[in-house]
Amino acid sequence: MSLLAADLRALANLPRAPLGRRLLLHVGIGLGLLALLSWWIAQNVVTSPEVAAMLRRHGGDRSILGLLGMGLLPCPVAATWLGLSLAQRQLFETPELPLWQSAPMPQWRGTIQILLRATFLAVVWSLALSGPFVLTLLQHERAPWHAYALLPLAVATATVPLIAILLVVQIALVRLFASRALRLVLTTLGAAASVGFSTWLLMILFSGSEGGSRFVARAASADSLPWTVDAGAHLLASTLTDQFNFAALQSCFAWLLLATAVFWFGARLHPKAIEAHRLAEPTLRRRRRDWPVGIAATIRKKELAQVLQQPGALIGFLIFAFLVFALVNRQVLVGGILADHRLPLEVRQLSAMLAQWFLATMLVLYPHMGRLVQWEAPQWPLWVTAPASHAAILRGKLEAVGLLLLWPLLLVATVSGHALGASPRTLSLFLIVTAGGTIVALGVLAFVGTLPLLVRPDDSGTIAQGGRGFFASLVLILGFQLGVAPAGFAWIWLSIWARENHVSTELAHDWTGAVLAAGAGWAVLVFAVGFGLAVRNYGKLAAPR
Amino acid sequence: MTDLDDSAAIATAGLGRRFGTKWAVQDLALAIRPGELYGFLGQNGAGKTTTIRMLAGLLRPTTGTLRVAGIAGDTRGSERQRKQVVGLVPDTPPLYDYLTGRQYVALVASLWHVARQDRDARSERLFELLGLTDAADELCKGYSHGMRKKVHIAAVLATAPQVLLLDEPTTGLDPLSTRRFKDLLLEEGQKGTTILLSTHVLDVAAEVCDRIGILAAGTLRCEGTPAELQERFGVDSFEDVFLRATDEE
Repeated sequence: MSLLAADLRALANLPRAPLGRRLLLHVGIGLGLLALLSWWIAQNVVTSPEVAAMLRRHGGDRSILGLLGMGLLPCPVAATWLGLSLAQRQLFETPELPLWQSAPMPQWRGTIQILLRATFLAVVWSLALSGPFVLTLLQHERAPWHAYALLPLAVATATVPLIAILLVVQIALVRLFASRALRLVLTTLGAAASVGFSTWLLMILFSGSEGGSRFVARAASADSLPWTVDAGAHLLASTLTDQFNFAALQSCFAWLLLATAVFWFGARLHPKAIEAHRLAEPTLRRRRRDWPVGIAATIRKKELAQVLQQPGALIGFLIFAFLVFALVNRQVLVGGILADHRLPLEVRQLSAMLAQWFLATMLVLYPHMGRLVQWEAPQWPLWVTAPASHAAILRGKLEAVGLLLLWPLLLVATVSGHALGASPRTLSLFLIVTAGGTIVALGVLAFVGTLPLLVRPDDSGTIAQGGRGFFASLVLILGFQLGVAPAGFAWIWLSIWARENHVSTELAHDWTGAVLAAGAGWAVLVFAVGFGLAVRNYGKLAAPR
Repeated sequence: MTDLDDSAAIATAGLGRRFGTKWAVQDLALAIRPGELYGFLGQNGAGKTTTIRMLAGLLRPTTGTLRVAGIAGDTRGSERQRKQVVGLVPDTPPLYDYLTGRQYVALVASLWHVARQDRDARSERLFELLGLTDAADELCKGYSHGMRKKVHIAAVLATAPQVLLLDEPTTGLDPLSTRRFKDLLLEEGQKGTTILLSTHVLDVAAEVCDRIGILAAGTLRCEGTPAELQERFGVDSFEDVFLRATDEE
């Protein structure tokens, strides 16, 4: 069986296993939702009168080309994300590498397989993100049948060359300059690509109709398109005219041929690059430090040590800091709150900072949830056989997560506090309220992160990673929103009441303590219930199957 | 229900486990005395790992009963008590890549409620015995498979288990480490630790085990001392004993 056939067989075998079925279902749902989002944006674009006016102003053909180019833009974005993150790990750490290297086949064959895998994934993601948008545009322009037939070629042209070039550049860099510093740089790039992709999706989600208009205006008035989408957009645009542009078709094939040629030569450097990569393996000697004996304290220290001793995790924290800075800088979600001058300045600033903290915490909540059970899949036999109390184990983990959740809190307090010029009193109030919010988050995270429905062990008792991640994140976010909802509603109600009754600052100050105490009481209640349920859940997970 | 041997450190009766329609283990009766080193042999898929996982409390038996260190397997209240006295070395060591070997041992010792002095004394000795002293402060990520195995063995032995369940512990170990590991097993056995050793290395089993049980297709085909088994099958080599017991010859 060839490598390609083996991969295809493995893919076809997915529905035969429960985990594979779940994986397919959840990836399918995720991609389906993205496709729906793409279709929804396209519907807004083609039915918007403002867009029609804009198209008339800028000239129809040029604008359609621009729109098609913008429609294809998710292809290079997905290619960059996968080329720098997943494909990079595949190039140097995929478990099949020893097999491929020891097999009697050309050394570059495995490298080609990595390109094929990355391309397949990138094309699937690109089709989900770009396909509905471009299809809607073509439908709106009453495109002929061959326009639809050429869409996969346009998507491939916008995806494959970029992935191939990214892989070859990484191979060449490691081959020539392998070092711990380069590993760090590549890991950083991979993490940045992943975070960048998520941020880009978030920006689309939160930009709404206002953002959509800006997007269309930019697309319609663009003088030139990025090279990654230019050939594909020209190809599709030419199908809308009376005369088919064969030069555009040739251009697409030329890009694909060039990518194949570049990769063909680059792949030959891969075996030596792997060797160089392994020689640059970090072997840091650690300082000996005494460890505590108590279970919760040991687990807390273990979780923090894993973060501190893992370069990727630290880089992730730094990238997250940049993300928060960008969110605060662009006033995502809070522009309306800050502009409402009927509210006292302190209330506006506090509301804005709380909204930013909520968004920032929501972004990191799911990764931290994995620390409870999901990420322990390879170590699950240890946790199941340990005679430690489940409450102590969970307490240690939640203490660590609690400390890690202080990062978004402190980031927003520092960055947003500085940007808005918040007073010490506003900052203190923010810290008190978000401390309560963090306690609520921990309670929800404890419950959802141990829910047997989401992290159920398989028949042999092993925790199965992946598969339910999408649902787990949805349930977690929903749980967190429900957890803070009473406080949120109370805050909105109080704001409206204060606005309507022209409440004096003195009266607001008098009532602050009571309001905070009620909030703290609610936070403790949510945590207690969540923790209690989590201990029960953990017992179920650790029970023999 | 079949009675369990009260004097045994590991006792099973009618033990069975089914996955779907396939029985991995069927009607298994074991009685391993305290301090005994019991070898568990069998081909791939014979049911060794399933049995060990049931004894360790990872899998629930479909049929039968078991008792480990005097604690019944189906007693819910005594589950943690049973875990406290059992040490499991699975085929794939459950190490944390981004902890050092020493940190990992500290974590395991903490989970098993080992006092700090005991933990430090035991782990230093075990690191030395297993040749891990130089690598103990390096991240587990950089360890070879054999090193990972040794670190987990050190971690489990640092908890001073009464019953030690070993699943293919010598896989990936170099000859020197294998030698040291065998000495360690004999020493543990002399201290009174009951050891169930599942292995494919017949020489190791014949050399260190007091008794050996051979499993095939989920059932125990025969058991006895290495000499008894050789006599029963009328062969000189232990390899022949294994092949005959598993119907391969």
